[in-house]
Amino acid sequence: MQSKLSDIELIEQTLAGNQSAYADLVKRHQRFVFTLAMRFSKSREDAEEIAQDCFIKAYRSLASYNAQAKFSTWLYTIVYNTAMTFLRKKRIATDSIDEEGTFIQIENRESAYDADNVENKSRSFYLNQAIEQLLPDDATIITLFYKGEQSLEEIAQTLGMETNTVKVKLFRARQRLKDKLERNLKHEVKELI
Amino acid sequence: MNPIEEKIWNYIDGTCTPAEQEAIALLIEQDEVYRTKYQEFLQLNQEIAGMELDEPPMGFTYKVMETIRTENARQPLKAAINPRVIWGVSVFFAITIVTLLVFTIANIHIGLSAVDVKINMPAGFKLPKMSNIFSSQVFKWFLVFDVILALFLADSYLRRKKTAKQL
Repeated sequence: MQSKLSDIELIEQTLAGNQSAYADLVKRHQRFVFTLAMRFSKSREDAEEIAQDCFIKAYRSLASYNAQAKFSTWLYTIVYNTAMTFLRKKRIATDSIDEEGTFIQIENRESAYDADNVENKSRSFYLNQAIEQLLPDDATIITLFYKGEQSLEEIAQTLGMETNTVKVKLFRARQRLKDKLERNLKHEVKELI
Repeated sequence: MNPIEEKIWNYIDGTCTPAEQEAIALLIEQDEVYRTKYQEFLQLNQEIAGMELDEPPMGFTYKVMETIRTENARQPLKAAINPRVIWGVSVFFAITIVTLLVFTIANIHIGLSAVDVKINMPAGFKLPKMSNIFSSQVFKWFLVFDVILALFLADSYLRRKKTAKQL
């Protein structure tokens, strides 16, 4: 059961030494943080590592959290920075892997999904598939805007961008998502015929 | 960016002014191109808003809390103690040592062969003997009490300051 206390109250309790209050905070935000991490890493294992790292970093610097901003905005900034660092490290580690390799990885992931959710192939499945095919920045902006209850100003703060840039990026991301969704659906219809 | 699409997204997101909103609503009602685009975007908007968040693996919270607990347990005692407390104790001892040193130096009688310094004390006044003071049991207990009191006051002061900062 999740705590009814606000984020600020839970933070105060955590700072006073109550660790179970922080566990409640983790439970409250874990799904969104994990989803954001998935948008970057495209792998559940890596996303779990990023999400865990974020919550540990947030715990360590909880005393420096300024209660004037929303806790979620502050936390998502940590997620964004951690995920970017993770991607940079991974890019260095897998520098020799070419585009084809990455493509195979994505394809395999899709087929794994196919096997698990054959009966659930609804439009929402294609939507998730299309989001996975977007660039991490596009997928993150869409996720923050629609699922993170973040305004354009808050997203700009999280990503360290201008509000207008975020607005333009959101328009473009939705357009790309729409194109990918249509392409995936057309491909599926062709396969059925 | 297509201006029609931009206008419609602004309308859907609610980021335009009331006057613009009214104008776009009128265009959607009257213009076929606007209406088709609006229906298309509205559907996409609803689908994105309705998408499910990914579920982290079972025991995710437990793993996070375990890592935090392990890290805290591994932390050396030196790092666990607030450095300000250490500084407070150091300053207290430094002041005590300096005070005792000044007091001792002030009570030393220096005999010079060339100049004979004599201080006329008021009648009946006797300087306390240093050896008696330092060896007395009462003085030792007084010092112990002072140290405990100083530590207690420093701790409560720092706690109050920390709580005020958090609020």
